[in-house]
Amino acid sequence: MTDAATPTSPGTSPGATPGALTVGEPSVLRVTWVIALRGLRRMRRRPSLFIPTVIMPTFFVITFTGSFSGITDVPGYGTDNAFNWMTAYAILQGASFAGVGAAGMTAEDIENGFFDRMLLAPGPRWILLLGPIVYSIVRSAIPSTIVLLVAFVVGGADMPGGALGILMVYLAAAGTSVVFGLLAINVVYIGRSQRSLLAVQVPVFGLLFLSTGQVPLSFQTGWLHAVASVNPVTKILETARQGFLGEVTWSATWPGLTAIAVLASVLSVLAVRRLRSFAP
Amino acid sequence: MTAAARAGRRGVGSRQAAAQAAELSRRSIRASIRNPFSWLPGLVFPLLLAAVYSAQFQRALELPGFPEVDSFLDFVLPASILQAIVFGATQAGGDLALDMENGFFDRLVASPVWRASILVGRLAGSAFEAFGKSVLLMGIFLVFGARVDSGVPGVIVIVLTSVLLALAVGGIGLVLALRTRSQEAVNATFPLVFVLIFVSSAFFPTDLMEGWYGAVARNNPITWIIDPVRRLVIEGWSWTDAGQALGLTGGLAVVTIGAAVVALEREMARR
Repeated sequence: MTDAATPTSPGTSPGATPGALTVGEPSVLRVTWVIALRGLRRMRRRPSLFIPTVIMPTFFVITFTGSFSGITDVPGYGTDNAFNWMTAYAILQGASFAGVGAAGMTAEDIENGFFDRMLLAPGPRWILLLGPIVYSIVRSAIPSTIVLLVAFVVGGADMPGGALGILMVYLAAAGTSVVFGLLAINVVYIGRSQRSLLAVQVPVFGLLFLSTGQVPLSFQTGWLHAVASVNPVTKILETARQGFLGEVTWSATWPGLTAIAVLASVLSVLAVRRLRSFAP
Repeated sequence: MTAAARAGRRGVGSRQAAAQAAELSRRSIRASIRNPFSWLPGLVFPLLLAAVYSAQFQRALELPGFPEVDSFLDFVLPASILQAIVFGATQAGGDLALDMENGFFDRLVASPVWRASILVGRLAGSAFEAFGKSVLLMGIFLVFGARVDSGVPGVIVIVLTSVLLALAVGGIGLVLALRTRSQEAVNATFPLVFVLIFVSSAFFPTDLMEGWYGAVARNNPITWIIDPVRRLVIEGWSWTDAGQALGLTGGLAVVTIGAAVVALEREMARR
C-alpha cells in the first residue's frame, strides 16, 4: 500500500506513523461488518442465491404443513395445527442454507483469488472467518421472518410464548446458521473450492432430516428414533418451537443453546486452525 | 414421421438410421454410467426419504381415511420410484443443452445423420436409466419388507410406467433444451419438478389434505399416475389401474416427444 493511500484508509488510527497500518478494536468490528455486508450485497444481486434463501423455506413450510396436516389428528401429536410444529423446521432449514451460503462466499473468494488478497491484508486472520459468520446470521433472519409471516398469516399459527417465543425462533435460527456455516467453512478451507460444498449438503440435510422436524420423537420408531434422540438439531428445534406450543421455559431452552454453543466452539477452533495453514 | 425428420433422413437408409440412433443411444447411456453423480443422488434421496417417512409416519396408518396398507413402506414405494425417475429424466434435456453449448450438436447436424436420432439417443439414455432405477429400487424395497400385491404383472407395469414417465419428462427436457439452448435454463426447472411431486399424493393420501392444498394435490397429474400404481402395490391386480398408469404416462410421452420433434424442426428451420 502506498503512503498516499494510508492516511485515508479506515484501518489507520489517527496519529499512527504513515505507512504503518495498525488495526485497533473498532477496525475489527468494521472489517467484519464490511465482509458481512459484501455477502448481503452479493445475495441481493444474484437470483440464484435468493431462491434458496427465501423461496425454499417458504415452499417447505407450505408443503410440509399441506401434505402432512392429517398427522395432527393422531393422538399425542401435541398440536392441532401443523404450522405450530413445522414452522420451526422450515426456519432452521432456511438458516442452514444461510450458513452454507456464507461458506459459498468464502469458497468463491478462494477460487477467484480475492481470499489470497485478504490473507495478505494486515489484521488478525480470524476476521476472515467472523465476517462470513456474521453474514450468515443476518442472512438467516430473512427466511425466518418470511416463514414466520407465512405461518401466522396463511397458516394461523399460535404463539402462546409471546415475544420471548419469537426471540427463541430467531436465536435458534442464528445459532443454526452459525453452526452449519462453520461446518461448511471448515470443508471449504479443506477443499478450497465451491465444488467441495457439495459434500456438506449430505451432513446438513441428514442432520435436519433425521430430527423431530416433522413429527415428535414419540412417533418415530427404530433407527430413526435412536438417531433423532441424540441429534443436536432435535434440541435446537425444541428451543425454536417451544413458543408455538406453550410458554417459553428454561428447560426447553438450555439444551438447544448448549448444543449450539458446543458445536460452534469446536467448529470455530478447527476452522481457525485451518485458516492458519493458509499461505502466506 | 414428420417432414423434417424425413428430410433429415434424406440419403440415410433405414438400417443406417437405426445404427445412428443406436450409436447415439449408446453414447448417452455410457455417459450416465460413467458419471454416477448424475444418477446416484436421484437414487439415494428417494430411498432416504422412504426410510425416514416409514419410520416417522407409521402411526398415520391409524388415521381414518388412510388406505389399508401393511406398512408405510408399501404406501410410499410408488412415490419413491417415480421420484427417482423424474429426478433423473430432466437430465436428457440438460445433456442435449450441453451438446448445443459445446458445439457437438452443430457437428451432428452438419453430418449426414438422421436428425431424429439426436432425440432418440437422449431419450434412450433416460429410458435406460429409468429401467435400471425402477428395477433396483423395487428390489431394495422388497428386501426391506415391502410387498407388491399384484405380483409379477404389477411389477412389470410399474417398470413400464417408470420408463414411459422418463420418456414423458425427458421430452419436456428436450423441448426446453431446444428452445433455450442453455443447460442452466433446463436445470432451473428442477425445483418445479420437486414441487410437483410434493404437492401430490406421493407421500400422504390426498383425502387427508385440507383446503386449496388438497384441491391442487388431487388435480395434479402426478397424483393421477401415482394413485393407480399405488393401488397395484397395496390392493392387487386391476386392469383399470394398469391401463390408467400406462395410458397416462404413454399419452404424456407421445405429447411431449411430439413437442420435442416440433421444436427440433423449428431449430432446423432456424439454421
